[in-house]
Amino acid sequence: MTTAALDVHDLVKRFGGLVALDGVAFSAAQGDVLGIIGVNGAGKTTLMNCICGIYRPDAGAIRLGGQDVTGWAPHDIAHRGVGRTFQVPRVFRRMSLIDNLLVPVLKHKAADRALIESAEAMLERMRLIDLRHNFAEELSGGQQKLLEMARMLMPDPQVVMLDEPFAGVHPTLCRFMIEQIETMAAAHKTVLLISHDLTSIYRLSKRVLALNQGRVIAEGGVDAIRGNPDVIEAYLGA
Amino acid sequence: MTAGASSRAADRERGDRIYFTLAALLGSGVILYFASVPLLGGNLAFHFYLMLWITMASGFNVSSGFSGYMPFGYVAFYGVGAFTTAILVKKVGFPVLAALPISGLAGLVLALLFAPTLRLSGIYFAIVSLALAAICRLVITNMPETITGGSFGLQLGSHAEPVLSFYVMMVVMLAALGTILWLSRSRLGKALRAVRDDAEAADMMGINITRVRLYGWLIAAVFPALCGGVEAWYTNVVDTETAFNTLITAKTVIYAVAGGLGTVAGPIVGAIAMVWLDELIWRQFPLLNLLILGLATVLLVLFLPRGIVGSLLRWRPGWRRYVP
Amino acid sequence: MEILVLNGIVNGLVVGGVYALIGMSLTLLYGVLRVVNFAHGEMVIGGSFLAYVLFHVAGIPPLLALPIAAIAFFGLGYVAYYLLIPRLDRSDDPESMSFLMMYGVSIALAALMLLLFEADSRSIDYTFSPISMKIGPIYVSTARIVALGVTIVVSAAVGLFLFATLPGKALRAAIMNREAIQIMGVDIIRLSAFAFALATGLAGITGVLVALVFPAFNAFSGPEYSIIGFIVIVLGGLGNPVGALLAGVLYGLVEQLATVFLPQALAQIVGFGLLVAVILLRNAGFVRWRIGR
Repeated sequence: MTTAALDVHDLVKRFGGLVALDGVAFSAAQGDVLGIIGVNGAGKTTLMNCICGIYRPDAGAIRLGGQDVTGWAPHDIAHRGVGRTFQVPRVFRRMSLIDNLLVPVLKHKAADRALIESAEAMLERMRLIDLRHNFAEELSGGQQKLLEMARMLMPDPQVVMLDEPFAGVHPTLCRFMIEQIETMAAAHKTVLLISHDLTSIYRLSKRVLALNQGRVIAEGGVDAIRGNPDVIEAYLGA
Repeated sequence: MTAGASSRAADRERGDRIYFTLAALLGSGVILYFASVPLLGGNLAFHFYLMLWITMASGFNVSSGFSGYMPFGYVAFYGVGAFTTAILVKKVGFPVLAALPISGLAGLVLALLFAPTLRLSGIYFAIVSLALAAICRLVITNMPETITGGSFGLQLGSHAEPVLSFYVMMVVMLAALGTILWLSRSRLGKALRAVRDDAEAADMMGINITRVRLYGWLIAAVFPALCGGVEAWYTNVVDTETAFNTLITAKTVIYAVAGGLGTVAGPIVGAIAMVWLDELIWRQFPLLNLLILGLATVLLVLFLPRGIVGSLLRWRPGWRRYVP
Repeated sequence: MEILVLNGIVNGLVVGGVYALIGMSLTLLYGVLRVVNFAHGEMVIGGSFLAYVLFHVAGIPPLLALPIAAIAFFGLGYVAYYLLIPRLDRSDDPESMSFLMMYGVSIALAALMLLLFEADSRSIDYTFSPISMKIGPIYVSTARIVALGVTIVVSAAVGLFLFATLPGKALRAAIMNREAIQIMGVDIIRLSAFAFALATGLAGITGVLVALVFPAFNAFSGPEYSIIGFIVIVLGGLGNPVGALLAGVLYGLVEQLATVFLPQALAQIVGFGLLVAVILLRNAGFVRWRIGR
């Protein structure tokens, strides 16, 4: 049995009296695209925050390729090959687009010139190349989301987490993002995708995880989830 | 390489050329100007302090513009540097040129001691920094008179060498400018700015924010310490009132902000503009000096918050990669 | 020894009361406007100078100077707000810019006072009769008792205002959530102006009390009170007026009792050291995301 790319085991996270995650467990193999759905407050973003190290879980374990990374600092987890984007873009506002992309690869041994060239190539792929010297704060919201995606991909992470990439984004741009995500999947990355846009979720995901009140209420293939009565009741409306 | 990539590479090379040419022009202009002052009989004191303020503002720029920390107790490093040199020269008998690097070291040690405060966010950091500087001053004031000279301070004895100390100040200033030039293009500089903009996100992008912040902080601490040491040599006297004067932090901050934080040229432009203004005002209205400094700060924040260079770059953002 | 300690306690309460007022006005300012008022000490000293001028020029006793200072400073605060603050919100780093601006204001105010009053220390030669009163085994100067009384009254008034009146509750709500209160239809600009004026007015009153409680002051006394103000608001929690009250009294007690046992300068170091220790140990002000780490 091959080791899962990402393995989450009985994760618990509390904030004071609020239990945000109540024993979440799932596995994702390499190349899996796992859609994560749930109402607001279900624990989706908290889950991602735990996996990337921002929050330390109160109980449970997180394993990357078999290695236990629970409680690791975020930068160590990043170096282990995890990348993410955010619901509200967190670009480095007073740095140029190129510099934004260089940040995740600053520790790479390659020469400056090679890194800059690959950053430019990435910007070209994301159609942001003409703005490469602009400060990130000068970009529109949608462009910032693209920038985040580009920045995330720079160190070629094996596990990729996208938190509502389509939120508030123009449909044309959405389609472009979907293409990018499909490319990531084709490159055998493990993709976790949080979204309320069910059409995109169903199109992109191999499997879907439904969360409600910090627990996994259903997990399975797209069709199974669509028909799952618990999911329908909790999320889609009874 | 695709056509696009190679034209971008050419563009990049052109940009780098312009950047380094401007930097070289700035550097050589600065060197020629200041080096000639003693030779041509110019006002030594005025130019000495101008260099001092350029250095102080540049050091502050590393902390504030690059790292995002406003140490309102910045004078602590200056005072510690001044006293280290004075004590080593007067009480231990070191030659000044040997004492100065140790002053720099003292600044580093103090910075390490204060390093835990780097965890703090904006306002808490500023306040704690102020309190720590006050503690430094109080501790030194209350050390035995045999060590720190009590309220009379220390005199370095017959070691005053105005011209030599002038040139040493110039060396220190150039070291500061060179460091910032390097920092602004280096990977550490990018890491610092990422941490400044969004520390949490930088962490998730693989930056060890604690370590990066520490490096920035250490760099920012060395130069005021050296300034304190050289100034002690130049004026030949050190006492807690002048070495820990809060006006030193005030001027540093104002001059740095006046020029614009985040570029190499900013502190230079700001220091020159403000020192020149200060001199002008002082000659005409010696009593209003301090008042005008305060008002100038308020006006700066209200109308030119990004400083002279910063506002210029805001107006012409495309110039950002050309201006050092 | 007991007498010294008792003295320490009483003085601690008196001094602590003044510190508490400084802290309360400073924390209101930060809580509502998110402005760190580096010029607060200078404003307080301005109040002291006003009391001095009123007494030595017009023969007005300090107790009468209190309402005059309150009103004058309240008005000045209103004007200052509209001159200085609205532009700040539009800059890209309001917090840092507010530090810098108030830094400039503090220098300008100190310079102004220096110009008007020169560098000499001043004190008010007003004597109450009797000069001091006997409380138990110790003598306490009447001026200090009066000051303590005023402090209690003013604190109670501020407390009543904040908790029992509508504008006061609006202020507290603004401290808790600036954005939400605007959605509720509150004009945040007018509320902020009011908060600024209130804080300045309180600073003016505190200045008069400083003149009564402390032996002397001069144009450069400001920073010392600013630092104390910062210590108090950090100990009490930024934006927490009740916390500032308690912290101010506590800090006053600690400081005065420390001077009973330690030399003056060491006592000061203890005070600052306390601040540093509390900030570092308490996690207050740590980058907020370190929840659960």
